[in-house]
Amino acid sequence: MAEGVRRRRYELDDRGFDEVPPRYRRYYRRWEGPSDSLAPNEVLCPVCKIVVRSPRELREGDRIYCMACMSRLRVVAGDAGRLEARVEY
Amino acid sequence: MAEPDLHALAHETFLEHVHSFEFWFGAVRGYLAGREFGRHPDTPVESLPDAEREQLVTVLCNYCIGETAALEGAGGLIRIAPNRATKVFLATQTVDEGRHLEAFLHRLGELGIADPEAEIRVRALPELRAFKERLAELVDTGDWGAALFAQNVILESMEFASFHHHARRADAVTREVLLGVIKDERRHIGFGENELGRRLKRDPGLGRRLRAVRDELDRQVLASFDHTLRALGSTVSERDELSREYLQAVERLGFA
Repeated sequence: MAEGVRRRRYELDDRGFDEVPPRYRRYYRRWEGPSDSLAPNEVLCPVCKIVVRSPRELREGDRIYCMACMSRLRVVAGDAGRLEARVEY
Repeated sequence: MAEPDLHALAHETFLEHVHSFEFWFGAVRGYLAGREFGRHPDTPVESLPDAEREQLVTVLCNYCIGETAALEGAGGLIRIAPNRATKVFLATQTVDEGRHLEAFLHRLGELGIADPEAEIRVRALPELRAFKERLAELVDTGDWGAALFAQNVILESMEFASFHHHARRADAVTREVLLGVIKDERRHIGFGENELGRRLKRDPGLGRRLRAVRDELDRQVLASFDHTLRALGSTVSERDELSREYLQAVERLGFA
């Protein structure tokens, strides 16, 4: 997707993820397994398998944080064209 | 005013925060408040058939060995940790490991084990005992990278995969205890992998030392893993899948 195209914004809601302090809970949700479809503002943390959410649509090259396992992640295009996350130490 | 986007934080600011006791308090309150020994007091206690109870006791005894290794390891690592933030994080991990050990010992008591320490001695897997001794030696040598790798990558990854698998098939009480432990383990595995990943970029010699630790400990860890999964009634394909999961962190660090 061209970088010039405006990104969609998302209002993050609390999905009951209780492993981080309350003010950060909306940034995360549990992964429901292989049938769980990820929204354009979500990627799966490869370290701890939690869904990380962003208030804006994610694109390749974005950096996000998984607070549940304290990882910094880089968004990349996966083999199937879907967005994935790689740990960036 | 709207709060700034978490993902826009500077990396140093993020790390400073997540390594703190302040963060830890906020995190564990969410899933431990109102629990006793890791579970809600109203969770129904199921009566287990004798054979199932017997297997569960053996598995829990070995979890206790793993948690004791992690408790002693995390506590010992504080002394050799390279800076204040990692020392503080390891203090939170030490508390977590002590809680896990206490919760598993309490569960053994609920299952009718009057003297858990004696039972653990009888049911201990030799490979896990050997791993525990070697981890203590690595901590004593003062090699931060090697000891952290053994503790927070190898041991924690094995526990993370085992507990996940066990929780899917456990009785309600054991499942609740395990799910609480898994929530703590996420922080521990992430801390180990990220700390080592950053360190490996700066110290090429560390890779050789970590590979040697992996070569030495892999057999003990995989044998312990295999025994535990067999006791839980896992199939061969499940065991293979879980072994792959365990190895993922090692692979991400470049030790496939």
